[in-house]
Amino acid sequence: MNATATLNAATPARNAGRHLSFGAYPPGRLVRHLVLVLFALYALAPVYLVLLASVRSEADLFSGPLSLPWPIDLSNYARTWNESGFAHYFVNSLVISASSTVLVLLTAPLAGYAFAKLDLPRKELLFGLFLAGLVVPAPSVIVALYGNLQKLGLLDTRLGVILPQAALLLPFSVFMMRTVMQDVPKELIEAAVVDGASPLAVYFRVVLPVVRPGLMSLALIAFLFSWQEYLLPLVVIQADDLKPLTVGAATLQGRYGVDYGGIAAAGTIAFGPLVLLFLVMQRSFVRGLTAGAVK
Amino acid sequence: MMSQRTAILFVLPALALYVAFVGIPILQVAAYSLFSWDNGSVTGFAGLANFARLIDDSVFWTALGHNGIWVLLTLAFPLLIGLLLASILAECSPRTIRVLGAIYFLPRTIPLVVAGIIWGWIYNPTFGLANWALDMVGLGALGGAWLAESSTALYALNVVGAWTFFGFCVLIYLAAIQAIDPSLYEAAQLDGASWIKRFRFVTVPLLKPTTLFLGLYAAIEAMRFFDLVWATTQGGPGYDTEVLTTHIYKTFFLVGDFGYAAALSVVLLAIVLTVSGVSYRLLRSA
Repeated sequence: MNATATLNAATPARNAGRHLSFGAYPPGRLVRHLVLVLFALYALAPVYLVLLASVRSEADLFSGPLSLPWPIDLSNYARTWNESGFAHYFVNSLVISASSTVLVLLTAPLAGYAFAKLDLPRKELLFGLFLAGLVVPAPSVIVALYGNLQKLGLLDTRLGVILPQAALLLPFSVFMMRTVMQDVPKELIEAAVVDGASPLAVYFRVVLPVVRPGLMSLALIAFLFSWQEYLLPLVVIQADDLKPLTVGAATLQGRYGVDYGGIAAAGTIAFGPLVLLFLVMQRSFVRGLTAGAVK
Repeated sequence: MMSQRTAILFVLPALALYVAFVGIPILQVAAYSLFSWDNGSVTGFAGLANFARLIDDSVFWTALGHNGIWVLLTLAFPLLIGLLLASILAECSPRTIRVLGAIYFLPRTIPLVVAGIIWGWIYNPTFGLANWALDMVGLGALGGAWLAESSTALYALNVVGAWTFFGFCVLIYLAAIQAIDPSLYEAAQLDGASWIKRFRFVTVPLLKPTTLFLGLYAAIEAMRFFDLVWATTQGGPGYDTEVLTTHIYKTFFLVGDFGYAAALSVVLLAIVLTVSGVSYRLLRSA
């Protein structure tokens, strides 16, 4: 398996099959393509449904879940953003996710570099320690983490979410960064060392520029996972004006069980930025996510 | 010597953060499980008494069973669909691969809490899309309150879980298929092997390591998922969608029984680490 195999490389073998069928559309292929379409609908229908509901006016509510809403009504967004606290939730999600991502970017590449290229004592043991963390479920540490954060005065603060969030992301990040750093040419590092550069200078001026695409993937994934996190902020944060979008959306659902337009708008605000980010940076995302699948 | 010190300093920031917020809490949880607690403070050494309680805790066994069902369903459905879609997709044009790959993966970018809310609507008995669609094709009698009935709740939730996961399987399988030597497919084609034969005898056997990896990933996720259940059914109706993580959460925050919540956490950790340890061996030898 190749960690960097991208979505856009069709193999010649499969294209050869195309010529053998002489342009006909054999029933087997038709069935296969129908399967592709069917699952595209499975993936998209719920998203489509929410987008429609979020711009549907109250008067238009009963014309069926799939009918196109008309007129397009943005009042759901205005109400959710201004009155239901989603302006706060959005900023909190942004602050928490961005800070966790920065923390991960400051620590994981350094460690990955040490694991891949430096003479680290007890390398196997230390790496195994991070590796084990790949599978640790957040709910199983929460019992102790809660008390610890309380003692540190970090309950009900954004920092109390950011620090454990970054820590929980580290096993994956260090693992991925080690893989990325292994591809840095040895000669490049040696040449810089011969020139008398300090270890930190080598890292910042020679290594980091080479692995920039890897850093980009790591940043995107760390941001995605932080933004999606629910349990950690649910447990740590009580104050309404510090909650991120995930907790806010779940609360809203309980509070106004009948404001469907509002909840749809809230949901869209909660996933919209991630979907946009993914669509724009698809290649980086895929590179990062398949990096874990290296043999 | 000098270079060793540098290496340690490079690992130190990550290690410190990781040990402080993951490593130490795990050790604490293990220690907590050996004591009896009242209202957040230790009342005495309990030995293995907290673990002995597991035997008679029917909710624990129910939850464990649900996690088991979830593992099996995840292995059966998203993995198989992912493999099938990836094999079909691999024959399409780069453009199609890019567009459909993005579409399949899109649900994964949606936070599970929000996915739970969206699907909660789809399953709504009075205005939800699920019953409406069944009505449209004349199967209205099959409709129901999907998340509120004990016979369907867990499976209805699994459809949501699969929705967020199958696209990931497609991408991983696709990357693996694209790494297969094209000459193998050419040879099969020259021998007149049909699509199904090529799938069965070339793609599936060569993707065994990928399947093992995804299987491990799916099993771990199935043991530790929380958001989806908590945002929709909170383990209900009754205990019909209770899983280990929700049982831990309730025992800790609603009952306040720290010792028993810690014991449950240790069990969860032990399961997850054992499963991954065994699978890691398998992956290495595959």
